Order: sequence, then structure tokens, then C-alpha cells
Amino acid sequence: MVLNSTSYNYKNKINNSMKPLISSLSTQKNPNSIILTTLNDFSNWARLSSLWPLLYGTSCCFIEFASLIGSRFDFDRYGLVPRSSPRQADLIITAGTVTMKMAPSLVRLYEQMPEPKYVIAMGACTITGGMFSTDSYSTVRGVDKLIPVDIYLPGCPPKPEAIIDAIIKLRKKVAQETYKNNSKFQQGKRYFTLNHKFNLISINTSSLQNNKGIDSKISKSYFNSTLKDFTLTKKKENLAFVLKKKDNK
Amino acid sequence: MLDTYKNNTIQIQGRLSAWLAKHKLPHRPLGFDYQGVETLQIKSENWLSIAVALYIYGFNYLRSQCAYDVAPGGMLASVYHFTKIQDNADQPEEVCIKIFVSRESPKIPSVFWIWKSADFQERESYDMLGIYYENHPRLKRILMPDTWIGWPLRKDYIVPDFYELQDAY
Repeated sequence: MVLNSTSYNYKNKINNSMKPLISSLSTQKNPNSIILTTLNDFSNWARLSSLWPLLYGTSCCFIEFASLIGSRFDFDRYGLVPRSSPRQADLIITAGTVTMKMAPSLVRLYEQMPEPKYVIAMGACTITGGMFSTDSYSTVRGVDKLIPVDIYLPGCPPKPEAIIDAIIKLRKKVAQETYKNNSKFQQGKRYFTLNHKFNLISINTSSLQNNKGIDSKISKSYFNSTLKDFTLTKKKENLAFVLKKKDNK
Repeated sequence: MLDTYKNNTIQIQGRLSAWLAKHKLPHRPLGFDYQGVETLQIKSENWLSIAVALYIYGFNYLRSQCAYDVAPGGMLASVYHFTKIQDNADQPEEVCIKIFVSRESPKIPSVFWIWKSADFQERESYDMLGIYYENHPRLKRILMPDTWIGWPLRKDYIVPDFYELQDAY
């Protein structure tokens, strides 16, 4: 009797745990259901749930970041799969101090990433230079001098929970994006580039005008010739028409 | 090394200094550091021959090589720590060598060909303080970019003003 009851309870428990799934499947009146959403929201949802970070780290912040890859702070559940190639990454978490020697490589890595791309500046060193900000000859004072930063994540180094928090905030930011808001994709002058100033000289413009004149002449003559042909054919047709009319009569 | 603990009198010549004096090798004893390690000053031009003598004496292990700027406008120093390593070593013999050179022409013969581990250490000393280690196989910058100008750890080094990269605001 007792044994029976326990077995019954056990069965019941299993039923309870399975219940939501089974009931939702069985009570579904329309299996070919429709989800109503905007294309914008749908693509945002797809992007935010597979933010692939670049496997990038230059010092102690990466130790904290690396612990996220492991099972304790498993960040695969946010769809973050660390990629070793910038071509496959959507997100770069700049973990660690960036020196003047590393700066060109970091900018190149960022530029090699496909649009839309996001940057999390992780740790004090990548926000302001951190403890190297006052008297260092080689530290870049903040990674935002090199690449545009979306999220600033303070700490020295930040805890893994803080990195997860930053990623959640980035997901919220991605979720709120619209296609109209494409100012992000236009690269501003955030990092150091040389401006090439091409000045048109007056001689160039005059020669351009001359060319234009020649062009117009050619086109006119061509047009005239075609017009002549056209009138000729028209006349012939008219003749033919007249002949036909005559025949009909 | 042990007798340095016994007498706190102004005895600055240690065992190695006596050995070097016996073989008429030029050096100057600088006393002992807080751990009782014998410290010697050696001139740059004598360094290579004395380094070979130290290797023959039994110092087969270069523990560290470093360099520092003694004073503003003063000398540059290159420091070597050697240890005698053998099987079942218990408190092996140690020595500290200091070489002072002028900052106008800081040239020290490289000990790379005696202790191979001096390779990166001497390159770093060159990178940071601009001490030229003669006969080093590949003496070039190790930490700073190759295009860097100046020696960052010298006291008279002025940090260049980098547009937008270095200004914290």
C-alpha cells in the first residue's frame, strides 16, 4: 500500500514536471501558428542572442573574462561563443591595458570585424588608462581614443558578474536599435586618421568644361543624324500608308 | 658569506673579492647587501675577462640582470646576480656585480656568450635605459616599438605629447 502510494506520487511528480510542455502541445488548437513581429525586432532578437565576442585579452582583465568561458559563469547561455577570428566576431571586449604598441593591432582587429559591431571597454585601463593614466610613457589613455565604445565596464578587474551585467546591457541596447538609427554604422573621426584634402585647380575645371562642350557637340551631331534617319523612315512609312490606302480604294 | 653575519665591523672585502685579488683581477668591493650577498663594482672595460673568471670560479647561473639610472645626469648602472648551482645545493654562494657607465657613451660588453639567459635581460636594459651591450647577437628593442625614440626609464626622459592618444580628459 505504502509502496503503491510512493510510486503513484513519483508518477505524479513526473507528470507535473512534464505538464506545461505536454499541455501546451495538446491544447494547441492551431499548430501552424503565426508570430506577429516587426522585421526590426526579429533581426534585433537574432543579433542580440548570438553576440559572438572576439577572443581578445592583453592582461589581468582577461583572467576574469576567461572564467566566463568556463562552466561556473557559463556565458554560452547568452549566446556568446568566443571567436578567434575578427571576421566572425560581433563584439570586442577590450580586456586589459592597451599600450601604444598594441594600439595599431587593436584598431586593425576592430576594422576587420563585420558591421554591426560593438565594443565593451572592460576595466579601468581601457576606460581612462587606470593606474597608468598619470605617469606612463606607453599606455593609451582609454580605448575610446582608438575605437568607438558602446559600454564602459569599470573595475580593476571587474568581476565576472559585472561582465555579464555589461553584456545584458549591451543586449538591451541591441534590442532597441532601429534601421533608421544608422548613425552608428557611419564611422566618425573617433580614431586617428589623416584627412586628405583634394583641391580642384581652376585649370582642371576649364578643361572639364571643354570636354563637356565636345561631348555636347558629338551628341548633337549624333542626334541630328538619327533624327534624319527617323524622318526618312517616317516618310517611307507614310508613302506605304498612302499606297495601301490607294489599294484599298 | 657566513662570516659576514658574525662580524658587524666595517669589513667590506668578501671571499670572492679576496679570490679576485689573489688572481690580480681589477675590481672594487662595495660591501654586502642586506642579505649578506657580496657586491663588487667592476669597470666596463674589465668586465668580459672577469665574467669569464667568475664562470670558471663556478658561477654558472645568472639569476637576474637589471639596470637603473643612478641619479639625474649621473651614471647608468647594470647589475648582475650570479649563483653557484650544483646538485643538492644548500645556501649556494651568490655575488652581485655592478657596472657603472656614463650616460654619454654607455657601453658594456655583453655576457650573452657566457650566460645565454642574458639575452632578453640585456635587450630590456637596452630598451629601457639605452645601455649598449657590445657583441650582443640581436640588440634591439624588446618591449617598446622599434620606432620609439628615447630611453623611457632614464631620469631625464620626457614623455612625448601624443595627440589624442595620451591626453586623458
